Amino acid sequence: MRKYLLRRALFGLGTLIGVSMIIFVVLRVLPGDPLVAILGVEGHARMQPADRVRIMADLGLSDPLPVQYLRWLRDIATGQLGKSFFRGDTVRDLILHRGPLSAEIALLALIVSWLVGLPAGIASAVRPNGWLDTVARVVSIFFIAVPGFWLGLLIVLALLFWFGYKAPIIIVHVWENPWQNLQQVIGPAIVLGLAQGAYISRMSRSCLLEVIREDYVRTARAKGADERAIVLRHALPNALLPVITISGVLLGFVLGGSVAVEQAFGVPGLGRALVTAIVERDIIVVQNLVLLYAAIFVVVNVFVDLSYAWLDPRIRY
Amino acid sequence: MSEQRRSHTAVSRRTFLRTVGIGAAVVAPGLAATPARAQETPSPIRPDPAAKRGGTLRYAVHTAVAHYDVQQSGTVANIGPQSPMYDTLLRRDPKDGQTIIPDLAWKYEIAPDGKKYTFYLRKGVKFHDGADFTAEDVKATFDRIARPPKGVVIPRTPLFATVGEIVVVNPHQVEFRMTEPRPRAYMLGAFASGWNIIVRKKTLDDNGGNLRQVMNYPGTGPFKHVERRDKEVWIMERNQNYWNKGLPYVDRLEIYHAPPFSPELASAFLSGKVDYARLLDPVAWRRAKEMKGVTAAAFNQSVIQAFWCNQKKNKALNDPRVRRAIHLAMDRNALIEVVKDTAPMQIGGFVYPFHEMSTPKADLEKKLGYQKDIKPAVQEARRLMQEAGYGQGLKGLDFVVRDIQTFKLWAVAIQAMLKEHINVETNLRVVQTSVWFDEAAAGNFDLAISAIVSTLMDPSDIFSAWYGKNGPQNYGGWVNEPFHDLASRIEKELDVKKRTAMVRQAEDMCEKDPPLIPVAYEQIYDAWYNKVHGQNPTPYFGIYDVVRWDQVWVS
Repeated sequence: MRKYLLRRALFGLGTLIGVSMIIFVVLRVLPGDPLVAILGVEGHARMQPADRVRIMADLGLSDPLPVQYLRWLRDIATGQLGKSFFRGDTVRDLILHRGPLSAEIALLALIVSWLVGLPAGIASAVRPNGWLDTVARVVSIFFIAVPGFWLGLLIVLALLFWFGYKAPIIIVHVWENPWQNLQQVIGPAIVLGLAQGAYISRMSRSCLLEVIREDYVRTARAKGADERAIVLRHALPNALLPVITISGVLLGFVLGGSVAVEQAFGVPGLGRALVTAIVERDIIVVQNLVLLYAAIFVVVNVFVDLSYAWLDPRIRY
Repeated sequence: MSEQRRSHTAVSRRTFLRTVGIGAAVVAPGLAATPARAQETPSPIRPDPAAKRGGTLRYAVHTAVAHYDVQQSGTVANIGPQSPMYDTLLRRDPKDGQTIIPDLAWKYEIAPDGKKYTFYLRKGVKFHDGADFTAEDVKATFDRIARPPKGVVIPRTPLFATVGEIVVVNPHQVEFRMTEPRPRAYMLGAFASGWNIIVRKKTLDDNGGNLRQVMNYPGTGPFKHVERRDKEVWIMERNQNYWNKGLPYVDRLEIYHAPPFSPELASAFLSGKVDYARLLDPVAWRRAKEMKGVTAAAFNQSVIQAFWCNQKKNKALNDPRVRRAIHLAMDRNALIEVVKDTAPMQIGGFVYPFHEMSTPKADLEKKLGYQKDIKPAVQEARRLMQEAGYGQGLKGLDFVVRDIQTFKLWAVAIQAMLKEHINVETNLRVVQTSVWFDEAAAGNFDLAISAIVSTLMDPSDIFSAWYGKNGPQNYGGWVNEPFHDLASRIEKELDVKKRTAMVRQAEDMCEKDPPLIPVAYEQIYDAWYNKVHGQNPTPYFGIYDVVRWDQVWVS
């Protein structure tokens, strides 16, 4: 187990170094001048070559790329993660302030996806091709097909125009005011959770259908065991492994999807910060947030692998 | 002896009066010129006895600052949240947004030849850190604006190009000595611009003249910084020691971040989360207008929306007849209709259509290119293309479009108009804003659509920046020597009537040889709940001058 963990940690570290190099290079070769965002279009138009040289030097952008990359690694090692080009705020502070909101959204979305997806999948599998199965399949396909940000916009507009309601417009942390915080995160969490729940429903249905046809389930039925106990106690745990795997992958989608959904709901989380940083070409913020997302993805997948061993005693690392 | 003594000691009534009169004549100007304390030199903005004091004003505007240096900025993201903390030498009266009134200077004098501006500064004004405000601060502020250090870029520098020397006469009097005169309205407008806030000399010295990363530098303004959360809210409190006693009215100012024309802004206002919203989208603004207890106002903005023809790269576009044909091929009423739910716009020519010196709207609408019936303009456009040798049209023009909703909508419409009216075929290339400016600077385009902001409404500002031979926003590389000569004379002409005639002449020159193709002029949509009093921006020009909220109260 320890060896496995070490191997996965090294693999994860390699992945993150690869991601950091790719994002570092991509952001620097993309066309577009970050000084437009710093100076504004009027200031940029009036900038003299000597001003450019000075500003680029101040920002550290005139150093060779390897020097810039090593400086970034140093910033990561010190925990500062670098400073925004523009205002000098550290990326660490940005993550500490906005991260909890995005983390709550992701966690709630995961809970919603399981709360909705798993019962729907079980109901579909127990009576395949019945009316409940048909409804569950149609609904799940609907939520897979509909983009989250569009659904988010509809919800925001409906709440606004029908009830004159809008969630708080600045970050309210859960420890400051749990009720207002819930109002802020519940919308994005439901939209993201329903989309992921649709995948979980589809996956759990097919896995459960497969397991229900196994010999040991037939044996249990022949022995006269209760149908509910057969499904929940015998079949479901064995059907859950692929569902857990997909949940790990889906968390990645939740992180990616949160960028657009936070934007639609106007929630000032990390996803929205990433969008703004991309628009502003604040490359220090972008590269750190992308790396953070990659790190979360790697860690979640390690946890998913470890949970296999816990759920299925036959699996040993 | 006694008679003699009497002649020395007795004072006749006439002598007495003459003496007093002479004495008064000598002393009075001295008294008038002696700068009094702040409260003895009241601002024209007097506290309204009917106003209610206290409370919080919640204002939503774009506040995503790229940096904190107001003078280096060109965006409402800075001036929106930061202006309440600062004052200017002169300011625009919040009542009409036009009249220039004293601010930190309680009085000013302009030499008859227009080559010297003297400002008498208020005494007893303090910065938020407790330091006294003096003429040294004014000098340091305007020295930096007129001649920024390396690595500092201030868009308003050209407005002070003729300021030769700034002389501190005494701690409360400062002179701006000009190398050559400029029209009074031009210079006073420059001093009253909301961008030209007064900052401490020490602040500038301590930071090498660059405040881009200094978040809370002291001002003298009506509000003091309390807290800022990036892209969320900037909170300020009433400056208890504000020199204009009795102002501001509200105790707390909360300025929330909401991008222009965005659903966030609309929903924050319509749900009552904020009291005042600036830059609402047209759909939300129309809805606000119908709401009970809400006032919605539209006013002019200092922005032109236009596209440029690259005259250096494309031989055909270097021909004034082709550019005029393109200009005439535009159905401007349709273009405004295209974006009516995205951003509010109005028709205009080459000078702000609402400026007193520009062609009046009624006359402009009779001109080719601005009429509702575009057939005559299109016929003339085709004739011009024929005459220029491009009767068959042009193919494959690279049309660079900034990735902003209005430009994307317009680009498609302009593409269709050019094809249909004069058989000019274009390939649209949508790029990020930063890329657009790279491409424009490098000349990598045939046509390119964007917008420009100006500080002043005065034509001389735009004639040098937009149409000047080396103007920073002359993206097409336009050169027209007679125009440049005329613009230079307009800049120096002090007589308003003569200047107006010259501006009309310049407009005509642009019609014949367009330096750019005007698409529309922007408007601003604001809305506020009626509990907010003391400001109605309807007569304002732009969102960069009346931005201090000191005269606003909440009931």
